[in-house]
Amino acid sequence: MAGLSGDPNLGVGDKIERLQYNNNSSNVAVDKEGLEGIGEESNSNNKNNQGGEKDMAGNSIHRSGSRPQLDLSKAEIQGNSEERHPAILLPNQSDDISHLALDIGGSLIKLVYFSRHEDQAVEDKRKKTVKERLGILNGNRRSYPVLGGRLHFVKFETSKLNECLDFISSKQLHCGRIDSHHWNSEAPANENAVIKATGGGAYKFADLFKERLGVSIEKEDEMDCLVAGANFLLKAIRHEAFTHMEGRKEFVQIDHNDMFPYLLVNVGSGISIIKVDGDGKFQRVSGTNVGGGTYWGLGRLLTKCNSFDELLELSQRGDNSTIDMLVGDIYGGMDYSKIGLSASTIASSFGKAISDKKELEDYRPEDISLSLLRMISYNIGQISYLNALQFGLKRIFFGGFFIRGHAYTMDTISFAVQFWSKGEAQAMFLRHEGFLGALGAFMSYQKHGLDDLLVHHLVERFPMGAPYTGGRIHGPPLGDLNEKISWMEKFVQKGTEITAPVPMAPPGTTGLGGFEVPSSKGATLRSDASALNVGVLHLVPTLEVFPLLTNPKMYEPNTIDLSDHKELEYWFTVLSEHLPDLVDKAVASEGGTDDAKRRGDAFARAFSAHLARLMEEPAAYGKLGLANLLELREECLREFQFHDAYRSIKQRENEASLAVLPDLLLELDHMDEEARLLTLIEGVLAANIFDWGSRACVDLYHKGTIIEIYRMSRNKMQRPWRVDDFDLFKERMLGSDGKKPEPHKRVLLFVDNSGADVVLGMLPLAREFLRRGTEVVLVANSLPALNDVTAMELPDIVAEAAKYTAL
Amino acid sequence: MDHLPNVSNQRNSQSQTQISHLALDIGGSLIKLVYFCRYDDSCRDDDDELRSQNDSLYSKSDNGQPVLDGRIHFAKFETSKISDCLEFLSSLKLCLGGFHDCSAPLSDKIFIKATGGGAYKFADLFKEKLGFSLDKEDEMECLVAGANFLLKAVHQEAFTYLDGQKEFVQIDTNDLYPYLLVNIGSGVSMIKVDEDGKFERVSGTSLGGGTFWGLGRLLTKCRNFDELLELSHHGNNRVIDMLVGDIYGGTDYAKIGLSSTTIASSFGKAISDNKELEEYEPEDISRSLLRMISNNIGQISYLNALRFGLKRIFFAGFFIRGHAYTMDTISVAVNFWSKGEAKAMFLRHEGFLGALGAFMSYEKQCLDGLTVNTTQQKFPISLSSAGDKIYCSLSSNSDENGSIEHSVHGT
Repeated sequence: MAGLSGDPNLGVGDKIERLQYNNNSSNVAVDKEGLEGIGEESNSNNKNNQGGEKDMAGNSIHRSGSRPQLDLSKAEIQGNSEERHPAILLPNQSDDISHLALDIGGSLIKLVYFSRHEDQAVEDKRKKTVKERLGILNGNRRSYPVLGGRLHFVKFETSKLNECLDFISSKQLHCGRIDSHHWNSEAPANENAVIKATGGGAYKFADLFKERLGVSIEKEDEMDCLVAGANFLLKAIRHEAFTHMEGRKEFVQIDHNDMFPYLLVNVGSGISIIKVDGDGKFQRVSGTNVGGGTYWGLGRLLTKCNSFDELLELSQRGDNSTIDMLVGDIYGGMDYSKIGLSASTIASSFGKAISDKKELEDYRPEDISLSLLRMISYNIGQISYLNALQFGLKRIFFGGFFIRGHAYTMDTISFAVQFWSKGEAQAMFLRHEGFLGALGAFMSYQKHGLDDLLVHHLVERFPMGAPYTGGRIHGPPLGDLNEKISWMEKFVQKGTEITAPVPMAPPGTTGLGGFEVPSSKGATLRSDASALNVGVLHLVPTLEVFPLLTNPKMYEPNTIDLSDHKELEYWFTVLSEHLPDLVDKAVASEGGTDDAKRRGDAFARAFSAHLARLMEEPAAYGKLGLANLLELREECLREFQFHDAYRSIKQRENEASLAVLPDLLLELDHMDEEARLLTLIEGVLAANIFDWGSRACVDLYHKGTIIEIYRMSRNKMQRPWRVDDFDLFKERMLGSDGKKPEPHKRVLLFVDNSGADVVLGMLPLAREFLRRGTEVVLVANSLPALNDVTAMELPDIVAEAAKYTAL
Repeated sequence: MDHLPNVSNQRNSQSQTQISHLALDIGGSLIKLVYFCRYDDSCRDDDDELRSQNDSLYSKSDNGQPVLDGRIHFAKFETSKISDCLEFLSSLKLCLGGFHDCSAPLSDKIFIKATGGGAYKFADLFKEKLGFSLDKEDEMECLVAGANFLLKAVHQEAFTYLDGQKEFVQIDTNDLYPYLLVNIGSGVSMIKVDEDGKFERVSGTSLGGGTFWGLGRLLTKCRNFDELLELSHHGNNRVIDMLVGDIYGGTDYAKIGLSSTTIASSFGKAISDNKELEEYEPEDISRSLLRMISNNIGQISYLNALRFGLKRIFFAGFFIRGHAYTMDTISVAVNFWSKGEAKAMFLRHEGFLGALGAFMSYEKQCLDGLTVNTTQQKFPISLSSAGDKIYCSLSSNSDENGSIEHSVHGT
């Protein structure tokens, strides 16, 4: 990806995000969420009360990133949660964000919980020293106490409420606050604990929660929650809404100033249809009792399926014409074209079951399931449209767990809306469809800390297990939903079988997904297995749009849109071919230990699986651009605890580059101003080819020294470049007609790769600016992608470089 | 007590009955027949009461035109048993092609008006078996013509049904339009009727009578529609439907006006009960199914009425069958969603709109025949019923001939 016109994989926003994230996390380097505390504790049962910040930091380092290992959590089930690390009470009580909310519906319980951002604990010390050295102020840039973290989404069947209770209690989610870890453990954290909950079950099961977990359920109105959840998602998540027509998924960017009014159709067991006019302004205008519960209930009776997913799976292979009475059946194969009914239009769902002599057993369950699905989906679409029409609403958002990202369901609903509205109204779906109510309940905490979220502060990172909403459902029918849902149970049942304790993800990230053993699931990650149940939203509270963007609204960090399948294939190939090399480097970066090798293998498996899934369903994780794909790789590396796979290479290259820097500076100083300026810019472009993401570059490394390659490629920089503003730049720098322009006050230089790129490309340019009296700010990522230089490493490099130059 | 002619009563004399002007509506599940029977001696002998009271669906001319006394008969067959229908037709002494020459032999040129999809599908079969061609009339046109005819010409045709109370509605024929006609056959058609012959099919749904019957058959092993309907009388849908109260632990969700007995999800309890199909009572299943479909039809109908500002919705089609619970559910749905603004009304000849409409279309060609006309003045036909219960049954078993089915009784 060493494009001469700039590096496509790192947008400006990307860098900004990381930089600031870094700032933030360095302020909260020590505290951790309760969950991790438990994991920690179970890991080191013997040294429980040793206490102190030092111990924690040590522990964190040991566990590299406070990710509990699979075997660690085992003790959790025993529930000795009383033993904790000594509490450090945060002086700032406003941090006490309650972090669990429930939506207990007729069929499913939906959970949303919040976990604090995991610090890059391994870097704690380095951060601190860097911080000291650079004199970064500790002050929060924001006046309100928002914490970075993750929103997790999990669901359970209502009939298996106990699993849910176990889950909550094992994770200590009910113990109140986000910083529960720091509460004095002597005071029972849950004494007055309150959990926000919505849905009918909040009423029905309130006593049970009190009894089992000792927490009070604070009931929130279901409709309030649905609407709050939907509004939140539509505003805060970039690619939340999409259309789905004839198998094609297209993300819709919702203009937040033009969001209302809309119709919200929540398809749960039953269906609520809500007209939403604004935040907190809505009316339940309709509903129907023919909903998800009907599909599942009737389907169970008719097909003996054991789960909703199995039933849905069956429908994939069904042919509804064997059981539905079509217009063609009545009209002898002809259309009833006069009123626009084609022969394949369903005249009467299940109508063929009337006249045939066939019994239930004579019909294929697949056909029954499909017929049922069509009947209900179409009916939902129709009734929704009629309501939208009544209020003149053009946009209909469909949420609720019935949909499950199931292509056929969405297509059918879309078709119905399209058909009846003659294209006037549009059916849109939400990626977090099932969690509207739970999210809304979560939002109803007075201080959930998400109030002030601006757009895009919540970003969706790639869930490493798998996303909870899969576009398509693959594979054989799933067994017991149990198995998928209860990480606890899974853990207990399989804990001993798992030999390689390689977490695919910390449980905080994907819940159960994290404990799937990839090899046991074949080559492809099962989108449907854990996926349906859990998901994660990452809260990056300090992410802000770069203010100098010409058009912040239109800004799209992805310079390459992978919706073009050829483009996707190309990058797929690039990444796949590059993978073995990356694994080698990653393993080497962690000292090449057996553990590192195992993690390396697991990373390769997981990443390949993600790639395969994306090839099949590019929109599986949201809109896919190249930046997302590369971020996926980095995220994936980090999930397997490779924090900087290129660390050693970067060091080597930095050293090599620094060694030749004096010669380069000398060469530059002998040029006249104009030539130097051009050479500097050429140098910046040339040096950027040193990118380990590029195969060409990797080949180059074997052919010469860094300075040779650098010079060679600099000489190839023939103008005009693909994006060439050099003349403008030159005029600004040198002036015209002999007039010297004012120097820039301050320059932000966004740096990319380690080695030649930053040392031979950017630093000389920075030096040039400094000479002119311009203040220079180097901006780097806080987390590395391949051989990126990070903000953490820059000071050392700059200090080293300073030795060779007067400035 | 006034009666429509009951075809089965004339079983013994049917061979003498002179039939003219037969029209068919061949739907996905049922074949509806409407035919005109002249009063002749055999008829009179057969049913004194009817003749003396002179009030059946019977026409005569009061303006010097040839007087035709007779009755319009209604019959239906299951489409799957079309051979029964053919047999029945061939057993009738059809005097087609005019009233003046009813002894003329059937000729190839005889056309029978027919509508519904089967008019296309079975055209060849009719030609082959009975030797006459089906003259296809558009289904929607026939439905509308039939409904208009009934609403204008038949006294006490329309009625409301709420809380078990049936109330006839006197329709002012000058203020009939516009209205929404919902024909519930196998599927459901919703037609906005603006005036005679001016209408538009605005909507429909595939959840109709065929769904009730089809799903019901699969779920209960019932042998026929009426049996299934009968079962629903004794059922309790709460056993299988998920009610608001089930979700809310017995309490209402009062804030949005849902009582604890509101059905939140039809068949929703079947999810978690861990019961197999066999463990549910067929009665309960039937009841749940009936409520689901009736409610859905009521709701979609209301939404369509609302869309066009129509206050009156007439429900017809064989799904209803004068079944109290069905009508009640539909009425409640319309009443609920419209907050009392719109009214669900039902038609006593609910199942025969299409066939009647096809029958009406004869006028275009042979006005010298039956003076069933579009103007009420010329059409002093009354079909009255003082009874409070419309009852009909579709049961091939009840008819020993296996071919003739009951039409409508007023009791």
